[in-house]
Amino acid sequence: MATDNANANGFGEVSRVRGIVFEYLSLGASVFGLVALGVLLVYVAIDAFDLANASPEWLLTYFLTLVVPFLAFCLYSASDPTVTRRALGALGGGLVAVAALFTAIEALVVPIPRLNWQLAYLFVVAAPVTAYLAYVGSGGRVGAVGFGLLGRLVGGAAVGLAVGTLFLVFDPLLWFLAYTLGVLPAVGLYAFGRRRSTPRARTAAAPVGLGGLVAAVFLREVIPTYPSDLIIYLWTVAVPVAVAGALLVADRRGRVAAAAVGGVPLAAATAGGFLAPGAGLPSPTVLLVLVSIGVPTAVYVSRVVDAGEGLAGLGLPLLLAAGAVLGALIVGALGFPAPDPWLDGSFLTAAPSRTPSDAGLYPAIVGSVIIIALVAVLSFALGVGTSVFLEEYTPGTGPLGTLTRILQVNIANLAAVPSVVYGLLGLGLFANLLGLGIGTAVTAALTLSLLILPITIISAQEAIRSVPDDLRRGSDAMGATRWQTTKNVVLPEAMPGILTGTILALGRAIGETAPLIMIGAATTVFRAPDSLFSRFSAMPMQIYTWAGFPQADFRYGVVAAGVITLLLILVGMNGTAILLRNRAERGS
Amino acid sequence: MSNTTSDDSLITTEVQADSNDDSAAPAAGTAVAARNLNVYYGDEQAIDDVTMEIPEERVTALIGPSGCGKSTFLRCINRMNDMIEICRVEGDVEFGGKNVYDADVDPVALRRKIGMVFQKPNPFPKSIRDNVAYGLKIQGFDGDIDERVEESLKGAALWDEVKDQLDSSGLELSGGQQQRLCIARAIAPDPEVILMDEPTSALDPVAASKIEDLIDDLAEEYTVIIVTHNMQQAARISDRTAVFLTGGELVEYDDTAKIFEDPEAQRVEDYITGKFG
Ligand SMILES: Nc1ncnc2c1ncn2[C@@H]1O[C@H](COP(=O)(O)OP(=O)(O)O)[C@@H](O)[C@H]1O
Ligand SMILES: [Mg+2]
Repeated sequence: MATDNANANGFGEVSRVRGIVFEYLSLGASVFGLVALGVLLVYVAIDAFDLANASPEWLLTYFLTLVVPFLAFCLYSASDPTVTRRALGALGGGLVAVAALFTAIEALVVPIPRLNWQLAYLFVVAAPVTAYLAYVGSGGRVGAVGFGLLGRLVGGAAVGLAVGTLFLVFDPLLWFLAYTLGVLPAVGLYAFGRRRSTPRARTAAAPVGLGGLVAAVFLREVIPTYPSDLIIYLWTVAVPVAVAGALLVADRRGRVAAAAVGGVPLAAATAGGFLAPGAGLPSPTVLLVLVSIGVPTAVYVSRVVDAGEGLAGLGLPLLLAAGAVLGALIVGALGFPAPDPWLDGSFLTAAPSRTPSDAGLYPAIVGSVIIIALVAVLSFALGVGTSVFLEEYTPGTGPLGTLTRILQVNIANLAAVPSVVYGLLGLGLFANLLGLGIGTAVTAALTLSLLILPITIISAQEAIRSVPDDLRRGSDAMGATRWQTTKNVVLPEAMPGILTGTILALGRAIGETAPLIMIGAATTVFRAPDSLFSRFSAMPMQIYTWAGFPQADFRYGVVAAGVITLLLILVGMNGTAILLRNRAERGS
Repeated sequence: MSNTTSDDSLITTEVQADSNDDSAAPAAGTAVAARNLNVYYGDEQAIDDVTMEIPEERVTALIGPSGCGKSTFLRCINRMNDMIEICRVEGDVEFGGKNVYDADVDPVALRRKIGMVFQKPNPFPKSIRDNVAYGLKIQGFDGDIDERVEESLKGAALWDEVKDQLDSSGLELSGGQQQRLCIARAIAPDPEVILMDEPTSALDPVAASKIEDLIDDLAEEYTVIIVTHNMQQAARISDRTAVFLTGGELVEYDDTAKIFEDPEAQRVEDYITGKFG
C-alpha cells in the first residue's frame, strides 16, 4: 500500500493491481471474441471456396505465384530490412510451429475437422503476415501507388456493377430524359455562371433543372421511340464521367493529357459495350463497368506519372494478374486436383435452384443492393433533415421547445424498439395503408429506413452538436441566414460524424431479416426485381432459407458462399462510405 | 490588474495617450448611437440606461471590469443578442439614422453592414480564400471575388504571409494570423462598422501588437468599436473611451486622453489606476 513503505524506498509504491486485472480481463474478452469470430469466418471461407478439397500442390502453386510475389512487392515498398527479417522469420517459424502443433493435436487430442496443417498455416500465419505487410507496404510510396491503383480498379468495378444493378429497377428512359432536359442544362448553367461570375446564371440553374425533371416525367410516356440502352448509358453516364475526369486533369497537365484521360477509357468502354453481346455479356453493364474503372484509373495514373514517385507501384495489378494466370497454367498443366468453390461466377449470376451446384444468389444480391441504395439515400436525407431541424431550428423554450424535447425522448426510445415491430409497422403502414404492396422492394426500403432512422438521427445530432458554437456565431455575425450557416458551416463540419453514424446504421439494415419476413418479402425469388414494386428477396433471407434445406451441400457450401458474399458486399459498401467520409474529413 | 503594477501602467498609458491627441480632435458624424439602452438577461440587468454616441471612422474603446456588460453592449449593435433567448433589449440603438430594434429591421441584413471579430479567433474550417470570400458568397456578390479577397487580406496585413497558400486551410495559421484572417473576413464585404470583442486577449504580445497596428489603419476607413480589458491597449489605439462599471452602467465617456489623464469620476480613476477591477 502507498503509505506502508513510504519511507523505505523514497516515494513508496502505489498499487496498480486493480488496473492491471481490469486491463487483462478486457483484453482477454476482446481477444476471445475476435478469435471465435475468426475461427467461424475461417470455416465459412473454407466451405465457400471448398478449400478442404484443395490439394497441397494446388495450394503451394498459388502460394508461390500469387502470395509470394505480393509479399515481395510489399517488402520492396517498405524497403526496411527489419521488417523483411521479421516477416521471413514469421513465415518460416510459423510453418514449423503450425505443422508441429497441428500434428500434435491431431495425434494426441482430437482430429480437427475439414482442416489440414497447410490450410491452418494459410489462415493462421500467411493471412495475418500478408495483411500486416500490406499495411506496412502501403506506407511506402510504391505500395501506396500500387494499392491506390488496385483500389480504383476494384472500386470502379464495384461502382459500375452497382450502378448497372440500379438501372435494372430505375427506368433508364426516364433517366435519359431527366438527364438531357434537367441535369445537363442545370450543371451547364451553373458552370457557366461560375466561370463568367454571372450569379444570375447560377441562381437560374436550380429552377431550370427542376423544370427539366418535371418535363421529363411528363414526356416519358409521350415520346414513342428512344435510343438503345447502350446509347443512353453512353450519353448519360459514360460521357459525363469521362468529361469530369478530363476536367480534373486539365488544370495541371494541359489539354492533351486531359483528352487522353477522358478519351481513352471512353473509347475502350464504348468498344467494350458494342462487342459485349458477341461474348454473351450484357452490353450496358460492360460499358458502365469499363468506364467506372477506366476513368478513375486514368486520372490516378496521370497524377502518379505527374508526381513521378512510386511508378513501380503501377505494376502491382499486372503482377497479381500474371500470378493468377501463371498459377492456373501450372495447375492445369500438371493436373493438380483443384477445389470446386461454391462461391464462383455462376453463384453470383445464377438464380436459386433446388440443386446445390446450380444454386445462385443473383436475384437476392440485386434485391439487397437496391434496397440498401434506397435506404442509404432515404435515411441519410431524413436523418440529416430531422437532426438539423432539431438542433439548429427549434428554440429551447416555449411550446415548440417542449415539443422538441418530447420528440427527442421518443426518438431515443424508438432506437430500442425491436425490428420485428418495425416490420409490423411497415406491413400496416406502407404495404397496406399506402398500398405499396406486400413484399415489394419499396416497402422493404421504407421499413428499413424507418428502422435505422432513430440511429441516424441521434448520431447526426451528436455530430451537429459537436460543431463549436464559435463557428455558428462567426457565420451569423457575417450576416448569414440560419440556413446559410447550417449549409456552409455546420453541415460540412458535421459531415464526417454524420457519415460514420449512417455507415453503422446501414450495416445493421443490410443484415436485417425479421422486418423483411414481417412485410412478406419472398424467401426465394427466381428473377431479379425489375421495378420498385416487384417482389424481391434479400441476401439474408435467401441464406436463411438455404440453411433450412435438407441437403448438406446447401447447409455447408451454399450457405457459406452466401455469407461470404454478404460480408464482401457489406465490406465494400462500408469501404466506399468510409472513403467518402475521409474525403469529407480532409476537405474540411 | 494588480495594485503593484498599476502605477507604472498609468504612466505608460499617459505617454501613449498623448500621442493620440491630434486624431481624437473634431469628431465626424455619428456612426452608432445608443439611447436609454437597457438590457436584461431574464431578471438580471446587464446594461443600465446607457446613452452614448459613437463617432464615424474613429476607434472607440469600451473598457471596464469583466461582467460589466461590454460584450452585451457590443452585441446590441448588430443584434447578436437576438440569438440569446433570455435576452431582452429596451431603448434604441441607432445605426445609419435608424433604430435597429425597429420592427421593420431585418437583423440578418443589418449584420451584413457590421463586421464582428471575436475574442477567440474562429476561422471556418475552410481554405483561406473561402474564409475571406464567405461574406461575399452569402451576399451573392457579383464582382471579382479573388480581387476582393486579395484586397481584404492586404487590408488585414496578412496578404504577404499567405498569398502562396490561399487554398490551404485557415486553421493551419497561427493564432495571430487566424485573428487577422477573421478581420479580413469581416472587412471583405466592406461593412461600415467593425465590432471587436477583446480581439487580442487570446494572443501573445507580438501578435497582439500587430493587431493593434492594424486597428489603427482600419480606422481610416471604418468605424471601429473595440472591447478590451487591457487599459494600455485602449489608451494606445482608441480615440474615444467609454468606461462601464459593474451593473452595466456607463460611468464616463470621453476622449481617450481625457479619460486616462483626468477622469471626472473618482470610480473611473480608481478603476484605471487599478484600485479595483
Ligand atoms: N448569454 C448570457 N446569458 C445570461 N447572462 C449573460 C449572458 N451573457 C452575459 N450575461 C450576463 O450579463 C452580464 C454582462 O456580461 P458581459 O456583457 O459578457 O460582460 P463583459 O463582456 O463586460 O465581461 C454578466 O453579469 C453576465 O453574467
Ligand atoms: Mg466580454
